[in-house]
Amino acid sequence: MDTDKKFQQIIEQLNYIRDILAGKNNENLRLLSSRLEDMQSRLPSMNQEERLAAAESLDDLFSFVEKKLEAELTPMDKVRIVRHPQRICLRDILENVYDNYTEIGSMNEHSIDPAILIARAYITRRQGKKTLRQSVMVIGQEKGHGEEIRNGGSVKPWGNAKALHYMKVAETENIPIHIYVFTPGSYPIEDTPGAAQQIAKNIYEMGSLRVPVLAIFSEGGSGGAEAVGLADKRLMLSHGYYSVISPEGAAAIEANLKESKRRAPAELIEDCARNLCITAEDNLRLGYIDEIIQEPVLGARCHNFEFFRQLRQDVLRATDEIVLSVRGIEPIRSMSLRARRKKTSEGGLNLETVCMRWNLSAAAQERLLDLRHRKFRALSQKAHDDTRGRLQLFKDHLSSFWWEFSSYFKYDLFRRSQQNFSNFLRELHSETTFFVKKQTVPLRRFLRPLLPLFRVRRKRHLEEAKLTALSTWEEPQEQRGGNWAYVSPRATDDRAISCPNAATHGCLDMWAPDLFGEFAGVCANCGHHFPMEYKWYLYNLFDPESVTEFNTGIEAINPLKYPGFDLKLAKASAQTGQKSSCMTFEASINGIRLVVAMFLAPFRGGSVGAAEGEKFILAAERAGKKRYPFLAYVHGTAGIRIQEGTNGLIQMPRCTMAVRRYIDDGGLYLVVYDTNSYAGPVASFLGCSPYQFGIRSSNIGFAGYGVIRETTGEAPPPHYHNVFKAMARGHIQGIWDRRETRFNLYQAMLTMGGRNLYYQ
Amino acid sequence: MDLHEHKVLIANRGEIAIRILKACRKLGLEFVCVHTQEDHASGHVRLARGLGGSKSLYRISSYHDANELMAVADESGATAIHPGYGFFSEDYRFARRVIQREREMIFIGPSWRIIRELGDKINTKRLARSLDVPTVPGSDRPIYDEMEAEELARTLFNFQTDNQIRNPLVLIKASAGGGGMGIEEVHDPDLFRSVYRRVRNYAARQFKDEGVLIEQRIRDFNHLEVQILADRNCKTLVHFGTRNCSIQSTGLQKRLEVAPGFDPSSVSYNFDAAGVLEQIIRHSLNIAHKVRYDNAGTWEWIVTREGNPYLMEVNARIQVENGVSSAITRIRGQEGVDLLVEQIRTGLGDPLGYTQEDISFEGVSLEYRIIAEDPEQRFTPWVGRIERFHQPEEPWLTMHSHVPTDEPYDIPTEFDPNLALGIIWGRDLQEARGRGLSFLKKMILEGRTAQGEPMKTNLEFLKKKTGDILKF
Repeated sequence: MDTDKKFQQIIEQLNYIRDILAGKNNENLRLLSSRLEDMQSRLPSMNQEERLAAAESLDDLFSFVEKKLEAELTPMDKVRIVRHPQRICLRDILENVYDNYTEIGSMNEHSIDPAILIARAYITRRQGKKTLRQSVMVIGQEKGHGEEIRNGGSVKPWGNAKALHYMKVAETENIPIHIYVFTPGSYPIEDTPGAAQQIAKNIYEMGSLRVPVLAIFSEGGSGGAEAVGLADKRLMLSHGYYSVISPEGAAAIEANLKESKRRAPAELIEDCARNLCITAEDNLRLGYIDEIIQEPVLGARCHNFEFFRQLRQDVLRATDEIVLSVRGIEPIRSMSLRARRKKTSEGGLNLETVCMRWNLSAAAQERLLDLRHRKFRALSQKAHDDTRGRLQLFKDHLSSFWWEFSSYFKYDLFRRSQQNFSNFLRELHSETTFFVKKQTVPLRRFLRPLLPLFRVRRKRHLEEAKLTALSTWEEPQEQRGGNWAYVSPRATDDRAISCPNAATHGCLDMWAPDLFGEFAGVCANCGHHFPMEYKWYLYNLFDPESVTEFNTGIEAINPLKYPGFDLKLAKASAQTGQKSSCMTFEASINGIRLVVAMFLAPFRGGSVGAAEGEKFILAAERAGKKRYPFLAYVHGTAGIRIQEGTNGLIQMPRCTMAVRRYIDDGGLYLVVYDTNSYAGPVASFLGCSPYQFGIRSSNIGFAGYGVIRETTGEAPPPHYHNVFKAMARGHIQGIWDRRETRFNLYQAMLTMGGRNLYYQ
Repeated sequence: MDLHEHKVLIANRGEIAIRILKACRKLGLEFVCVHTQEDHASGHVRLARGLGGSKSLYRISSYHDANELMAVADESGATAIHPGYGFFSEDYRFARRVIQREREMIFIGPSWRIIRELGDKINTKRLARSLDVPTVPGSDRPIYDEMEAEELARTLFNFQTDNQIRNPLVLIKASAGGGGMGIEEVHDPDLFRSVYRRVRNYAARQFKDEGVLIEQRIRDFNHLEVQILADRNCKTLVHFGTRNCSIQSTGLQKRLEVAPGFDPSSVSYNFDAAGVLEQIIRHSLNIAHKVRYDNAGTWEWIVTREGNPYLMEVNARIQVENGVSSAITRIRGQEGVDLLVEQIRTGLGDPLGYTQEDISFEGVSLEYRIIAEDPEQRFTPWVGRIERFHQPEEPWLTMHSHVPTDEPYDIPTEFDPNLALGIIWGRDLQEARGRGLSFLKKMILEGRTAQGEPMKTNLEFLKKKTGDILKF
């Protein structure tokens, strides 16, 4: 019987290998299967001992070949390993790594979202007689070995909301959070709250969680991974992947299969998986994870108990290190950390017997946040080109220092004393007027009878003039009567344009020069907004000649050497004259200065990569230092630039943390969406703003129609992403008419925002 | 291009289309008419078919669709468009499109910049004030600030009390409004603030602009007009005298117009009427000069009981009542002046050919607007079938109507129920009044609704009002 079971295992193992290689013609696989068949055919004629020997030799052969295969695994093979139903899942980890746990709010299908699993767990450590139970909040996606209800670990927005809720609970309880990322991506629905909306909220909140957060990546699929993956330490399983998009998705875009039902060819998918640099080694090299946890050959499965022991050690060590890195006094802290690291690597330290508390003091919490912020700020620095010369860099540093310095004096110190000073002046003034009046009583008594004659006539004349003569009218800055400073080049065609609502609203066709000139692309009858060029906003929104661009030297590059992308970048640059899709500048509206980051749809669809992220962060920092409002004007963005792989993806937490810091420091962060804004940026640094507005022409969402249909199997209803739906979902806070954008922005700057704006 | 080679697209309907058509014939110009399905029996359609054949007629789906009009113009090879009044006549975008499109045409009317400049009431008021032309006391720009608004209202109340006005009234109107929406009056300074806020909030909601205008509300006034005509580039600028259009329906629609504006020779006024007329003509010409006005247009004035004229607005187009001005005007002593002919001729680029010295005025002229409506019931329009329509024929009478005299006619419900204009001329006010009454007596207009109820007209109302004309 024993050998039968053994053979059964070997057969299963062969099937597993077959699954992972996905029908690739591999000679090792052929060898294994022919040997197995051979053995099986000879089996009936063998006695028990011979069978055992045969099984053992077969086993040896398998381990030998598996090691060989392991060395040859392609990135796509790893993707298949991670997606295989036999892959370890979060429940296995809870069972094997932690000493005790209780699931929170889930009973298989009776859960708000079975794809997310939350558990309070503890790890027991013993030092001599002392036992210490260390509680943690474990949060992660549960794939459940292919159970249908788990949706493959694709979490719905309310699942992410639940995750966030329990992160906050952990914060209240002051216990560390362990996050396990097992997701192919977020479930792309826009129902209340929308996927993008919730992910943005998660990232925004996680940026300032005041407890240690440790994340372990197995399958890190894009937005779904970022929704929970912002951590102080990010470990990754050696066979995992962490990517901006699934290789299939990338291949579909590459092959331009937008709406068609065809699938991308397998070779293309393999190529994409390789080009996207999604493996643990790649991500370690690029700096987006901190360590790799070695898995057994061909990936960890539930029976690899040795692996779980290893994982437990790594989790303990990593959590200890996060805590140690912020606890205590600076020199001692780093010394002890260094010593400990050395000891552990030499195997001299048994982590199970080290007692150390994981709760943090208030000061340590501050340090933790600061460290987390700096960690993410320092990422992806090599993934963009900085053509600013040394002199320019030096100047930039100098002025940045100056802003900080002068803002402190001007707004923090001086303003407070100014208040006192003006109070003093006011008192002085009233005292003096009183005194002067008292002294001039006799003179006025003498003049009083003469005054009225003179005064009344003059007054009447003045009043009449006020009613009948031309008054001075300081024409409000906003252009009256469609007299726009910039007119779209489409306004020169002599043709009539039909409004898409003509059938339902009875709109007459409009003459292009009227529509794109005076009407600013708005249907005169129904108010439908035709999309406009970004230049229209650039020249019509801000005070004339107030726009000064900065950081033009930061340019988008092809950091992963993605084939063919250099050409595409060059083309985009030639077409638009821009070096990245993000244009950062200072401008003013009715005299109020502000910093603007504008995402331009014509440059690679307004996609966000490392250069755009860096420019955005620098702009946010500049706004913070100068105490200016910060406006993200999203003319359009298609999402994260997939050709930059994780370099792009990491901009989601990076930029969000930058705006979080800016908002926490009392700034005003405004987001205005214009045409089509989707995916990563909306699900992070744009969607997190408390003040988001949509021009009526905008569509806002997480995934496009095709992706939603593909993933959910249902076509979304019409106008799923339009601005009114986004408003109904609570994503945006207002819908603006394009012609009133300038006025509304001014209004927003006057009425919204934090305590630290220079004009307030 | 020679004047006679032009082909004019008449982008209007009814009575004015007929007059433009006749004017084109007088000038020997080719024309194209348009009509909608509902208007197929209208007089202008029959006349156009009779004079120009069916190739001069195009059916369109709406008089409001510029694209269709452009398509008709291109198809028929028209070189100029006359908008008449209403519809596109004061739409500067339409005027701009006519001259800026690839196949350029002439817009018979002032150039689009002038239409735009004078189409904005605030702009007109400010222009007037900059030239020291009197306007209604009050603000000449939108007021956004509550303190400023209250201050202004207080000054206005004081101003009226100082001028012995017994029940001072202040008007608050949404500066971005129009068509009578967002206008309220205040009779008590203490109520001002609440009314102001109501109007402001209404304006913010309705027009997305909080600005309001605050003016004196003038209740007792006469409505006067000055008819202006200029050739292209404003080389020569003349006026065709004044009109008085004070007899109106409750909805302030004109019903009876008289030229000249006042008649001091037979009616006594408690102010210098001749002086006022001279003054408003001078001011009107002044503004026309300033903007380089280049076609026919009307300057609308109100004159208070004390004889204070205030400029109201400028209508940069031909008006319904242009006939009364034509009737009293003599060019080099010749009668038979047709303002429409003059407008089209100069609009197409012909120089005016005479100056103000060549123009003289003779007699008094009245225009009756005969309308199917019920003056007893707040001038509610009457809709039904006209069974008998007979107009008397007199040498001193000109009739303009699109209603057929030989067959029954269903009044289309889509447009205003203006049926006919009767223009009467007399040597003096006495004679004009007598002729007017005899015309109204001879006029036959009968019809029924689908339910068999008899037709309602304003003939009796006009008879009653004829006695009052030109009296303040």
